[in-house]
Amino acid sequence: MALRTPLLISLIALSLMLIALLVARPQMTSTRGGKMLAFLVLFALPLLCMAVGVSSEMQRSKSTQFCLSCHVMEGYGRSLYIDDPAHLPAAHFQNHRVPADQACYTCHTNYAMFGGFRAKLHGLRHVYVQYLGTIPQQIHLYEPYNNRECLHCHLGARSFEEGVVHNADPDLLPAVKANKVSCLSSGCHDTVHDVSRLKDLTFWKPKE
Amino acid sequence: MNLSSDLERQLQRSGLLLIIGLGIEGVCLLWARPIAFVLMVAAGGFFCAAGVAVYLYALVSRKL
Repeated sequence: MALRTPLLISLIALSLMLIALLVARPQMTSTRGGKMLAFLVLFALPLLCMAVGVSSEMQRSKSTQFCLSCHVMEGYGRSLYIDDPAHLPAAHFQNHRVPADQACYTCHTNYAMFGGFRAKLHGLRHVYVQYLGTIPQQIHLYEPYNNRECLHCHLGARSFEEGVVHNADPDLLPAVKANKVSCLSSGCHDTVHDVSRLKDLTFWKPKE
Repeated sequence: MNLSSDLERQLQRSGLLLIIGLGIEGVCLLWARPIAFVLMVAAGGFFCAAGVAVYLYALVSRKL
């Protein structure tokens, strides 16, 4: 991934140089070689650059750094470093239960059909609100958090399936799996991004 | 009108559109902000698509 952007920039620079050459000397296209060059630089290379560029930006838009680059998300970013395992996002982020570089996307995408596409559409709306709309004081989810997103990783995991609390009531696990009892808002794992109390909390400092 | 110079002019037009489109894409790749993503897809994509379309049109509209 780290090499992808420099490689793409090099490809774009090469394309730009060849296009500039063709623009400066269009009579080159009168020869067979010139026609082949024109096809390459006016058709094949630009399409390749755009395809790789969009794919690269799509990948980057999943990064934690990208999500937290808007000012309104600052508190949510800080909440990932709260030094308290009871804070669900912090515990997941700090212990790499989710990839640290895609922490927001991993939990907030939708693991149903077209979930990634819907997440991107929501992202476009966020960009609109950030630059042209009114940023709300309090951010809310579009819909209640679905257990499906938790179960995407936890379903079948020993700690989840055989956990003492999860099995204390035989009706609990089936209800959780059916999304009838929420993992987050049923009094179990209900401390999430506690941004309003950030100033009262202590933070974990990762070792360099 | 000289057919070959007409074609060359259209290829130049296509090249200029592509230079703008790819230029926008390059800048957006270096500028890691959410707005850059939208700019790249909307503006960069538009100019590149227009450049490719002008090139293809130049080929098919050429009188043999």
